[in-house]
Amino acid sequence: MRRFIIVIGVLFILSITWTAFIKPDREKDSIRKTENIESVKGNVILKQDVEKEGVSKGLRKFWAYSGFRNATKGHLIMLLVGLFFIFLAIKYDYEPLLLIPIGTGILIGNIPFYQDGDINLQLGIYEAGSVMNYLYFGVLKGVYPPLIFLGLGAMTDFSSLLSNPRLMILGAAAQIGIFVTFLGALALGFAPPEAGAIGIIGGADGPTAIFLSSRLANGVNILSDGTTVKNLIGPIAIAAYSYMALVPVIQPPIMKLLTSKKERKIRMKPPRAVSKTEKILFPIIGLLLTAFISPSSLPLLGMLFFGNILKESGVTKRLAETARTSMVDIITILLGLTVGASTQADVFLTPDSLLIFVLGAVSFMLATAGGLLFAKIMNIFLRGDNRINPLVGAAGVSAVPDAARVVQNEGLKADPTNHLLMHAMTPNVSGVIGSAVAAGILLSFLG
Amino acid sequence: MNTVLMLTGAIAGVDKQAAIIVVVGYLIVFLALVILYLVFRYVMPLFFKLKLYRRAAREGRHLDDSEKQELTGEVNAAIATALYLYFDEIHDIESNVITIRKISKSYSPWNSKLYNMRNL
Repeated sequence: MRRFIIVIGVLFILSITWTAFIKPDREKDSIRKTENIESVKGNVILKQDVEKEGVSKGLRKFWAYSGFRNATKGHLIMLLVGLFFIFLAIKYDYEPLLLIPIGTGILIGNIPFYQDGDINLQLGIYEAGSVMNYLYFGVLKGVYPPLIFLGLGAMTDFSSLLSNPRLMILGAAAQIGIFVTFLGALALGFAPPEAGAIGIIGGADGPTAIFLSSRLANGVNILSDGTTVKNLIGPIAIAAYSYMALVPVIQPPIMKLLTSKKERKIRMKPPRAVSKTEKILFPIIGLLLTAFISPSSLPLLGMLFFGNILKESGVTKRLAETARTSMVDIITILLGLTVGASTQADVFLTPDSLLIFVLGAVSFMLATAGGLLFAKIMNIFLRGDNRINPLVGAAGVSAVPDAARVVQNEGLKADPTNHLLMHAMTPNVSGVIGSAVAAGILLSFLG
Repeated sequence: MNTVLMLTGAIAGVDKQAAIIVVVGYLIVFLALVILYLVFRYVMPLFFKLKLYRRAAREGRHLDDSEKQELTGEVNAAIATALYLYFDEIHDIESNVITIRKISKSYSPWNSKLYNMRNL
């Protein structure tokens, strides 16, 4: 009995493997041929033959529409990628709140189904009228990212930033990754709007990356030469979130490379206590100032500061609670799932995606290095306990709060009694503001 | 400025337009955060100090040093912990009841020892 089950199992696996690697076109051709033959035979076929033909035709049609028949190498690769994301999230706890929805989205988006030019089964994310297509609308039109920012604002405590505002400049310095990657993408032959969308990966901010790519590299806009811009939302979002999850892997070697052990031991002045009035005034002043400087970043920064006003005003506790819990959770689920599903093999597995991943990694490294080096430059002009531990500069890439956590861990490795978390939160949250401003600038130049 | 743009363009091998976006964009990001820094580093403390002096003047007194200095979060945390420990250690009212409360269990065949033993 056991042997029988093994033999049946092996035959089943072999049949799946065999069918998975045969081009579905051959099946489509064979169906068309059968239909032609039937039309030639016409009325001559006997009733019994018609019944037999009907059954076999139905089965063939069922087989042609099944996932096994339509699977290609691309689908299998993407399914493995999705499984790998889920594995990383569960086994190593790498950003599970993002990688589980994205990983599952990749699985959903890469289930093979019958696709022909003129047939719309309303299944795939790119097929008009499908449920996933409706949910994807929120990504395509940039609806989800501002809502995520609203939740982020309602979660964030800016008191560390208010107590030591000079560290805010490190958040600006780390945005060098965005602009250098923009140049790199241009040099590699991407059109300017595509290069802008790729560059924003260096902001290490998933919602900002999705927001900008949905505006600049959405596969809809027409370039000045008459060609349509590429749809790079999927690769950019996946690259941004992957590297955000890999912050604990990417940043420490760069930190060690660019700082000496003595610098890593620098103790910083403890942050001062911040009054409630200051906390209330910050989102109002921040909103007015940044929005006047870069109005294009208003959807993101407006919502970020609005969320923070809800939190700090103290009179809208219910709204703040909803924004930072239920609402942000719902949007995270929808955003992660649809971004994952948008990585359909035929759209995602292109040489461009590979380039985007390489550029994204470079962008992250440059942003980290930019923050670190700027902190060292600032130290030239600072004395005594005003000096900055350069590790704090690495938190200037947004990736809240992972980058700050990495700084804390690296600081503790150098000196187990030196806690840098609160100091690192300042460049971390100012990095969010900086990357949103950078996104607004790129949008106003290239949109 | 023109030299910076030409240099950026030459290094990256891209046109002047792209170099303008990079240089101007990066400067604007800096400008936004530097303005925020200046406001919260210099303008806000000035505003709060003025408020403090005005209140003292209204009350007809001079500000002492303890009012002028800024407390760190660590100092606040230390004061709060000390107060907590102090109030936690105070035993001003005791109940004086030191008897042991007897807990009686009502009988049920479900918790009966007799039914749980194997009767050999």
